Amino acid sequence: MTEAIAIADGGADTAQIAAFERDRRDLLRRGFALGGAAIAASSIPLLLSVRNAFAQATGDAAILERAITLERVTALAYGTAIGGGLLSPPVLRTVRRLRGHEQAHADALVTALTDLGGIAPAPPQGPADIEKVVKGLGDTRSQADVLSFAIELETAVVAAYHDAHAELVETRLLQTAASIMGSEGQHLAVLRMAAGIDPVAKAFETGAG
Amino acid sequence: MDIDGFLRDPLSRRRFFRMAGVSTGAGGAAAFLAACGDGTTTPAVVTGPDESDQADVEILNGVLDLELMAIAAYKTAAGRMRGSVLEIGKLLLAQEQEHADALIAAVEEAGGRPNRAKASYDFPRMRSQQDALRFALQLENTAIAAYIDALPKFSRGALRATAASIITSEAEHAAVLLDALGMEPAPEAFVTGRTS
Repeated sequence: MTEAIAIADGGADTAQIAAFERDRRDLLRRGFALGGAAIAASSIPLLLSVRNAFAQATGDAAILERAITLERVTALAYGTAIGGGLLSPPVLRTVRRLRGHEQAHADALVTALTDLGGIAPAPPQGPADIEKVVKGLGDTRSQADVLSFAIELETAVVAAYHDAHAELVETRLLQTAASIMGSEGQHLAVLRMAAGIDPVAKAFETGAG
Repeated sequence: MDIDGFLRDPLSRRRFFRMAGVSTGAGGAAAFLAACGDGTTTPAVVTGPDESDQADVEILNGVLDLELMAIAAYKTAAGRMRGSVLEIGKLLLAQEQEHADALIAAVEEAGGRPNRAKASYDFPRMRSQQDALRFALQLENTAIAAYIDALPKFSRGALRATAASIITSEAEHAAVLLDALGMEPAPEAFVTGRTS
């Protein structure tokens, strides 16, 4: 359907484009890595599944409440990792940035919930509250462990937002959720780069697998 | 067309997308305007799902136009990419093709006829790898804005979820391109694709 597109721009190297096209499907089969070995999935004991974190929520307000808790727990987990002494300065800066984003997501969702007449859930207070949602942070012993934990956590958050898109109704909430899910995807890309693994492994980022 | 002018000027982008054949019919109009950096045309009030497959087809074809253009753009940009950046370009091209294939399938499933790629696109001239990366980043942001505008209009939850998974993929692409440009790869807490 879309093969053999003629390119009008004279600045392109057409021979390279042809080679490029030949490579494309092979590339898909071989996979792609920017370098470094992939960290084995779940190299640390990990995570209750939050794949279905929103699954039992019905209605926009209930989904928002669960999203707020998930965002706050993620911010708290990053805060714990920041204080854990395992991260190099560049990774520490990255994780601080991601924590700020998660807090911004939570704040926006609280505003949206309030607009709907809802009341935000009580914020998580510490490790026990994190453990109710995700497990494994306390078992991290290295930066690689922390990055692996964070990748799985962000993946689970993406999965929850993905599922929520089929359930949310209100237009602005759907768009806010999409902009947050995109942000979590960027977090995943950044964390994967820090871990030395392919930052854009799949064409459809659903949080599955 | 000069790429700096293209990146700087929303009106230039609007002309470009119109020339590139991005759908401006019912469903595509909002995506088109979002792509040009205009204010959203999406109503702020609750809009119940439209059960019309035809409406879905128009929206799907609107974003399909952007994917088809992105595929052609990456093929063109590849001519200015080298080494590890070229590898990134190849991967992102392959994923844009997967998005297009999924949209084509969705259009056909809804009983519609998928739009085709144009025979050629009048892209801004890219003189360097930096130009190629900047242009690719602009197209990724354009796609993100268009999908976010389109997403609530889909009649079925499955289509909304698929659109969200593509938005997230395009956001990851943007992160990788930003990193290749030496910029912060996750600069904002909300990825809207809207650039001034």
